[in-house]
Amino acid sequence: MKNLVLLPEALVAATAVILLTAGRLGWISPTARRSLPAVVSLLTLVALGIELWAGATLGSYFEGALVQDRFALFAKAAVLLAATIAFAVVDWTAEDSLTIGLAMPLVATFGVMVAASAGDLVALWAGLELAAAAGVVMVALRRPDLALRLVVTGGMASAMLLIGLAFLYASAGTSSLATMRAVLFSGAPTLALAIPVFFVISGLAVRAALAPFQLASIPASLGASPLGAGLVLGLVAAAAATVAIKLVAALTPIPTVYSTYLEVIAALAMVGGGAAALAAQSPRARLAYLAAGQIGWVAAGLVTHYRSGLAGSLFLLGAFAVAATCGPAVMGRADGGEHALAGMGALRPARAAGLTLAMLSLAGAPPLAGFFGEFAVAAALAQSGHFALLALGVFGSALSVAAVAGTLRVMYIQSPPDEARRTTRPPVLTGLSSFGAVAFCVVIAAYGILSSPILGLADQGAEALGLR
Amino acid sequence: MIWQSVSQAVFAASPSPTPTVPGAGIFSSSLLLSLTVWVPVAVAIAIAAMPNPRGRYDTLMKQIAFFTNLGMMFVLGIAYNQFQSFLPTVQYEEKVPWLQAVGATYHLGVDGPGMTMLILSGLIGIVSVLASLGVRERVRSYFCLLLLTQATVNGAIVARDMFVLILFWAAAAIPLAMLVIGWGGPRRYPAAWRLLGYWGLGTGALVVGTMTLYAASGGGSFDMDVLLKASISPRVQLAVGLFMLVAAATRLPLFPLHGWARDVYSEAPVGVTVIVAGSASRLGAYLLLRTLVAAEPSAAHLLSPLLAALAAVTVGYGALVALRALDLRQAAAYLALIPGGVTALALAALQPLSIAGAVLSLFAGGLAAALIVGVCATLSERAQSRSLQVLAGLAPRMPIVTWLMVIAGLAVLGVPFLATFDSELMTFFGSFKTQPIGAFAVAAGLAVAAVALASLWRRVLFSSPNPDAPGVSDASLGETWYLGLLAGGLLWVGLFPGGPKLPGTDSPLFDQGLVNVMAAGISDIASPYVLPTPGSGQ
Repeated sequence: MKNLVLLPEALVAATAVILLTAGRLGWISPTARRSLPAVVSLLTLVALGIELWAGATLGSYFEGALVQDRFALFAKAAVLLAATIAFAVVDWTAEDSLTIGLAMPLVATFGVMVAASAGDLVALWAGLELAAAAGVVMVALRRPDLALRLVVTGGMASAMLLIGLAFLYASAGTSSLATMRAVLFSGAPTLALAIPVFFVISGLAVRAALAPFQLASIPASLGASPLGAGLVLGLVAAAAATVAIKLVAALTPIPTVYSTYLEVIAALAMVGGGAAALAAQSPRARLAYLAAGQIGWVAAGLVTHYRSGLAGSLFLLGAFAVAATCGPAVMGRADGGEHALAGMGALRPARAAGLTLAMLSLAGAPPLAGFFGEFAVAAALAQSGHFALLALGVFGSALSVAAVAGTLRVMYIQSPPDEARRTTRPPVLTGLSSFGAVAFCVVIAAYGILSSPILGLADQGAEALGLR
Repeated sequence: MIWQSVSQAVFAASPSPTPTVPGAGIFSSSLLLSLTVWVPVAVAIAIAAMPNPRGRYDTLMKQIAFFTNLGMMFVLGIAYNQFQSFLPTVQYEEKVPWLQAVGATYHLGVDGPGMTMLILSGLIGIVSVLASLGVRERVRSYFCLLLLTQATVNGAIVARDMFVLILFWAAAAIPLAMLVIGWGGPRRYPAAWRLLGYWGLGTGALVVGTMTLYAASGGGSFDMDVLLKASISPRVQLAVGLFMLVAAATRLPLFPLHGWARDVYSEAPVGVTVIVAGSASRLGAYLLLRTLVAAEPSAAHLLSPLLAALAAVTVGYGALVALRALDLRQAAAYLALIPGGVTALALAALQPLSIAGAVLSLFAGGLAAALIVGVCATLSERAQSRSLQVLAGLAPRMPIVTWLMVIAGLAVLGVPFLATFDSELMTFFGSFKTQPIGAFAVAAGLAVAAVALASLWRRVLFSSPNPDAPGVSDASLGETWYLGLLAGGLLWVGLFPGGPKLPGTDSPLFDQGLVNVMAAGISDIASPYVLPTPGSGQ
C-alpha cells in the first residue's frame, strides 16, 4: 500500500509527458482527439480515487523529501478534483492547443501535489515553480507578451522566495520543515528571521495573485484561454497557498516574525479583492479579483497561527481550488466583456448555473463551499481575537457578493443578443461539458453539506503539520 | 376589556397540558422544520430544471409554486395545531452535527415566537405567489427566486444555531436583489444596490456580533442554547448588542438604516414587496428578540433608550414623509415602516407584557405592512399611475381596493378588531412604564400617520375624480384573494386572539389561538425583566 501512495503523482506526471510527446510527434489521430479530454479527465478521476483510497497510509519518501500525511491527502485530493472537473467542463474549441491544454494543468497539478507532500524547503520550492511554469506556458500559447510579463514578475517572486528560503535554511540550519519547526521552538524571533520571512511571504503573495500583488497574474489570466486562466488563478494560487500553509506551520513557534505582515496582506487582499471585483467590468476580471479576495481569507486563517486557523485555511483552500480553477473554464470565452454572458442562463443553463455557483462561492455567499470555508476561518479569527481582520474580511465578502449580483443580472435577466449582434460565441454544448458543469455544481453544493467530514480531514491535516 | 383577555391568555398560562384540539396527534414528523426550509429549495431546483419551450409551461410553474406554498401552509397548520402552547421549551427540534470543528450544528427548532413567525411566513408565501400571478416575463426564474427567498426566511426563523441563522440571513439578499433587478420598476437598479448594500452591512454586523459572542463564550459552539445563555461581561454584551441592533435595524428597517425600504417597496414587483414587507423584514425584530432581549439583559437595559428613540424616530419620520409624499407607492413604503417601529418600541420596553406585544406585533405588523404596500401597488397598477397628483376619487370605480386600502390603513394605525390593535395595546401598556418618552413619541407618530392616511384616503379614494386620469379597473380575483387573505389574517387574530371557543365552553373550536401559541417561550425570554414580587425573598 505504501508504494501506491505515489501512484497518483506518477499517473499525473506520466500522462502529462505522454500528452506532450504525442502532441509534438503528431501521434494523436483526429478521432482520438475528440475523446482525449474525457480520457484525461477519467485518468485524473482515477488518480483521485487512488489518492483517497491509498492516501490514508502515512509514509515518508526520498529520505524525507516527500511526506504523505493528512495535509498532503487533503491538498492533493482537492487539486485532483479541481483538475478533473476543469478538463470535463472546459470548452475545448476555445483552447489554443488540445495536448498542451491538457498537459499543462496536469503539470501544475503535479506541482501542487509535490508542494503538498514536501518535507523540505527544496520540494516546496520545486512544486511551486513547476505549477507556475505550467501557467506561463498556457498564457504564452495565446499572449506571449503577457507570458513574458508573467515570467519577469514570477522571476522576481521566485528570487525573493529563494533568498528568503536560503536565509531560513541558514538560520535554522536545516531544510527539513519538521526539524526547522523543532529548532525554532528554542529560538527567538529576531530581525534576521523576520527579513527572510518578509521576502518569502512577499514572493508567495505575488505567486498567489493576492491583491495588491497581482502584478502579472491577473492581467495574464485575462489574456489566457479559459483553462489557462483557471490554471493561473486556481492551481498556481493553490500551490502558493499550500506552500504558505506549510511554511507558516513550520514558523508557528515564532509567530511575531510574520503575523503582522501577513495580517496586512490578508486585509488588503480581502477588501481590495472585493472592491476590485465590484469595479471590474469584464466577467473574467471580476472572477479573478473574487479569487484574489478569497485567497486573502486563506491568508487570514494563517494569521491565527493556531490549528483551527490553519485547518480553516486548508478547508477554504479546497473550496477555492475547485471554484477558481473551474470558474474560468465554465465561463468559456468572455472576450466581449460582460455582454458576452448576456442571456447565458437561457442559452447554456448548466454552464450558467456552474458559473453562478463558482462566483458566489468565491465571493463567500451562503450556502456554498466558499461560505463554509470563510466561516471556519472567521471562527478561528474570533477565537484568536483578530476582530478587526474579521470585520474587514466580512466587508470584503459583502463587496464581492454585490459584485457577483452584477454578473448574475447579465446572465439571467438580460435577453440573449441576436446572432448577428453577438460578438462572442457561447460555449459549445457537448455531453462532457454539460456533465462537467453539473458535476461542478454538485461539488460546490456538496462541499457545504459534507463540510463536517471535510473540515475534520482539514483539521487532521493541520495536526499533521505539528499544530496543537 | 380585550387587552385584559389577551394578557390573561398570555400570562395565565399554567404548566397544564394543551387543551385538546380536534385533529391533534394525527401527524408527526421529526423533519417538519426541515421540510419548511428545503421543500421550497427542492421545488425551485425542479422548476429550474424543467423544460419550458417558449414559455409553454409558465402557468404550470405558477401552479407548482402556489401548491407548494399551500402544501407548506398545510404542514405549518399541523405544526401550529400540535404545538404545545404551555411548554416553554423549543419544539420540533432537529439537531445534526455540521461543522463540528468550529462547533456549528444544523439545529432547528421553534418556540412560541418562532411558531408565530413561521405561520406568518407561510401565509405571506401563499400571498406572494397569488400576487405574482400577473408575472409574464421569465416566469421560471421569477418563481425559482421567490421560492428560494421564502426558504431563506423560513430557515432564519427556525434556526437554533447562529451559524444556521447567519447562513439563511445572508442568503436572502441575493435572490431578492435579483427579483428587484429583473422584475422591478424604472428605478430598480438603485433599489437592488441599496438592498444589497444595507443588508450586506446588516449581515456583516450579525457575523461580527456573533463571532464576538462566540469568542467571549469560549469559542466552543454556535448553538443558541450555549451562545445566548453564556455569562459574559456587560461590556461584551454591549458590543454584541450594538452589532445586533445594527443588523436588525437594516432589516426591520429602523431609521437611519432604512434607506433601501423606499426604493424596494416602491420599485419591486408586488409579490416581492409583499414578501419583503411581510416576513423578510420582520426578521430584524425577531433577531433583536432572540439575541438582545432574550440573551443580553445588561446590554438590553443599556440599549433600550436608544432602541426606543430609534422606534420613535422611525414612526415619526415614516408618518411625516408619507404625509408629504407625491407617489402612492412611496407613501405606502413609508407607512410600512410604522409597524416595525412599534415592534421596536415593544422590545425596548423590556416588560413581559410588551415583549408579548412585540411577538404579536411581528405577526400583525408583518400582515399590516404587507397589506399597505400590496394594496397601494395593486391600486397603482390598476389605475395606471402612482402619482398622487393624478389619482383621485377612485372609490366608486374600485370598491374592492377601496375597502382593502381602508383596512390596510386602519391596520397600520392599530384600530380595534384588527390584530395590530392587540399588539399595540400590549406594547403601549408595557412601554409607558419603562419608556414613557419613547411611547409618547411613537403615539404622536401614529397620530401623524393617521393624518397622513386620512389625507391619502381623501385624495385617492374619496375626492372628486380626475377627468384626465387614465382608465381604472378594480382588483382582479387573484389580487382580491391575496389582499383578502392579508386582511382576513388581521381580522381573524384581531377578533379571536385566543382562538374561537365552542359556545358555552372553554374548549377551542379548531384554532388554539395565536396568543396561546406565541405565549410558549415568552415567559422564558421575559424572565430577566420580571420584577421581584414583594415577599419573594429576592
